Amino acid sequence: MKGFQSQEFTGIIQIDRKTCKGCDSCKSFCPSDAIEGKYGAVHRINSEKCISCGQCLVNCPFGAPKDTVDAVDKVIAKLKDKQVTVVGTIAPAVRVAIGEEFGMEPGSLVTEKLYGALKQAGFKVLDTNFTADQTIMEEGMELIAKIRHYALGEPSEHHLGPLPQFTSCCPAWIRFVELYYPDLIPNLSSAKSPMMMAGALAKTYGALEVWKVNPEDMFMVGIMPCTAKKFEASRPEFSSAAHYWQKQGKTGNYPDIDVVLTTRDLARLFKKLNIDFKTVPEFTDKDNPLAQYSGAGTIFGNTGGVMEAALRTAYFVITGKELDVLEFKPVRGLQGVKEASVTMKDVKTGKDVTLKVAVAHGIKENVRPLLEQTKAGKSPYHFIEIMNCPGGCVNGGGQPINPMGTSWLDKAKAVLPWS
Amino acid sequence: MARYDYVEKAVKVTRREFLGLMGVAGAILWTGAYVATDLVQDRTKYIKMRAQGIYTDDAKAKVRQSHNNQAVMDMYKKFAHNPLSELAEELFHTKYVDRTKLV
Ligand code: SF4
Ligand code: SF4
Ligand code: SF4
Repeated sequence: MKGFQSQEFTGIIQIDRKTCKGCDSCKSFCPSDAIEGKYGAVHRINSEKCISCGQCLVNCPFGAPKDTVDAVDKVIAKLKDKQVTVVGTIAPAVRVAIGEEFGMEPGSLVTEKLYGALKQAGFKVLDTNFTADQTIMEEGMELIAKIRHYALGEPSEHHLGPLPQFTSCCPAWIRFVELYYPDLIPNLSSAKSPMMMAGALAKTYGALEVWKVNPEDMFMVGIMPCTAKKFEASRPEFSSAAHYWQKQGKTGNYPDIDVVLTTRDLARLFKKLNIDFKTVPEFTDKDNPLAQYSGAGTIFGNTGGVMEAALRTAYFVITGKELDVLEFKPVRGLQGVKEASVTMKDVKTGKDVTLKVAVAHGIKENVRPLLEQTKAGKSPYHFIEIMNCPGGCVNGGGQPINPMGTSWLDKAKAVLPWS
Repeated sequence: MARYDYVEKAVKVTRREFLGLMGVAGAILWTGAYVATDLVQDRTKYIKMRAQGIYTDDAKAKVRQSHNNQAVMDMYKKFAHNPLSELAEELFHTKYVDRTKLV
């Protein structure tokens, strides 16, 4: 299929013909104009255009779009296999949403229960929040190197991409750039997303230092609020751990992340294994270094979070001092595009640097003007965070659908008495 | 600029009147659009609730900056050396693909 590399998943989101009422609602959420079909007729998704974000899925009033990649039974089989070390990597936004699938209030923070339930199911954990912190180190240092080079005139040891630098955590956004704005590819941070870092880290450092197992006997499960992560994990370039071991003389070919479960999928897995999430014993994985994370790592789940986390660290690295007010208000909240600027005194040169940043979420509504501005060479910003989903990953296409206790479908039935 | 706070469409006729006016087929389409705006209201509400849960996780964290995550620093010390080191580039960075050129 056009626009895909070999082995990549296509058609992750598809509309069920029997359920679709042709009401057109999905089109008003699709960031990629991938939905075809006239008002009143059954709609279909053009896979070549689709960025598999799942926004149509969580917003269709009739529940017609479906996620077609289901790895729940495969993961259960791996969990039962004693030869295999199954490691789950849990994204920030999962811990404030999975409770909803078990009747808890939306936004309930259930990290310890989630760790408890994963332990009971037989998972080891590498919290994606750990690699979110690591992403700040990699992506932040990349940004700082650019600032030092372009704004402070220092020579650089590395090859540096142009400014503004765009975040690279969101696979739907990445595919959007690759499809529609290839000119801006050099502006993307080269840092992998936290999930992909987790895969590469687990099968190298994790296998060596933490679990002391053979990387070939590991099975990495991304546990994500996101359907586009299923696409990301299937990209052929993400087998860095296998390459690392091949250079050390080992054979074996395996991806960094074997499969991805959405928040909904994980809830289904727990239910299949008869794990009652509400009563499961809590667990703090405090002896596991890979389950340690900072507040900066967790806020990745919200729009503005990556930016706020990056600013906390950039401020420290440039000025040598910790930022004293940690809540960085200008990048919080649900406004479509947020911007901020921070002036810092460079500890090395004594010069002032002003870092101008922008945050946008909801590619459908808010992102194109920023991209056009960048393409025209007129962007005033140094660093831009983009999240595909309105609100960020907390509202991802893999999150629970009926969190307020009233099923969307039931609501549709209430107004459609004959259905 | 645009906000992700949607305003529910005002509904002028009752559902029963509407069915009489438009017939069943039209009602399916109309109620679809109606239900969607209704649901978006809910969605905005719980996006805010989930976002709050995340900010609570940050506020109660003992360590709040990535560079102060000791376990991450240990990983660099024992394994990847520094951010942007050769090994870090190999394992934690990537390249992107111009998909307009893929047939
Ligand atoms: S919102 Fe759902 S029912 Fe309406 S056209 Fe889209 S897929 Fe079909
Ligand atoms: S998954 Fe996202 S890009 Fe694909 S059709 Fe649905 S809304 Fe559009
Ligand atoms: S914003 Fe988050 S949930 Fe939505 S597509 Fe991007 S990574 Fe996935």
